[in-house]
Amino acid sequence: MAIAKEVAGAAGNNTVVGPSILISGKLTGDEDLTVRGRVEGELTLSKTLIVETTGVVKANVAVRNAIVSGVVVGNINATESVELTREGRMVGDIHAPRVIIVDGASFRGRVDMGEVEPGRVPASRPVVTRPMVRPGAVTVPSRPAIPVARGRPTPPPPPPPAARPAAKPVPPPPPPATATSGAAGAAGRGEPAAPVPPVVGAGAKKKVVVKKKAR
Amino acid sequence: MANTVIGSSIVIDGEISGDEDLVIQGTVKGKISLKESLFVEGSGVVEADIETQNVEIAGRVTGNIVASDKVELKQDCRVVGDIKAPRILIADGASFKGNVDMDQKER
Repeated sequence: MAIAKEVAGAAGNNTVVGPSILISGKLTGDEDLTVRGRVEGELTLSKTLIVETTGVVKANVAVRNAIVSGVVVGNINATESVELTREGRMVGDIHAPRVIIVDGASFRGRVDMGEVEPGRVPASRPVVTRPMVRPGAVTVPSRPAIPVARGRPTPPPPPPPAARPAAKPVPPPPPPATATSGAAGAAGRGEPAAPVPPVVGAGAKKKVVVKKKAR
Repeated sequence: MANTVIGSSIVIDGEISGDEDLVIQGTVKGKISLKESLFVEGSGVVEADIETQNVEIAGRVTGNIVASDKVELKQDCRVVGDIKAPRILIADGASFKGNVDMDQKER
């Protein structure tokens, strides 16, 4: 749209075809033309054609620039650029070195931009990096072990303090946990479970699914 | 009066029709039929049959003019063709060749 305003502003008196006007035949000129009505036949300009949202052009068009916000049925041959804006609808072929088709525009036909430099196309394509799936990060069952391991050590502590009365009242709880779990015979579940969960549990919950788009 | 303008460098060969005012600064060949007013400005050249409500001509017109209301030939215009309208004004300095029909009965 920036281009449209620029061009329209530059020309003081440009030709306007109003919304209720129908021109059928051949139209040529050396100035900008704004179409809000209908033009049918053949349209040749050495400047810019602007087809506004209410405009309908059913013609073979030869211009320098074309900005299409309305409807064009026919081929456009532009020496500079063709732009289909969000409201633009077009059926026909475009031949221009610069062709801009904005999201929302509808177009059916061929586009010919002339020679395309071979080096440009791959470079402009962004390199897509996708997160990889981590293999072997599935150790979910270890989770429930945590409450069990913690729940069980708490009852045992009371007896040890009784055994070692006043030496170290605070530190004992941790050592007893390992000691008691080992002593309680639950070593198979309790010992590995305690260190592992924080690391594996967090990673295991996230599953990343990568879909490759068919091209 | 932001309506249809045919700029001075524009050439139209064909037919123009519509329901709004039309200003011609360029060249039109063929046929013009409007339900409103047609203004042919000083730089305008029309080689066409014209059918409108009002016509004001300051440029050149070659062709027959039929207006449902008024035809006005301004000072420096050059018109060749027949004019048919209930009101026809020809200003001093206008050049005109053709028939004039102001017959009211047909309206």
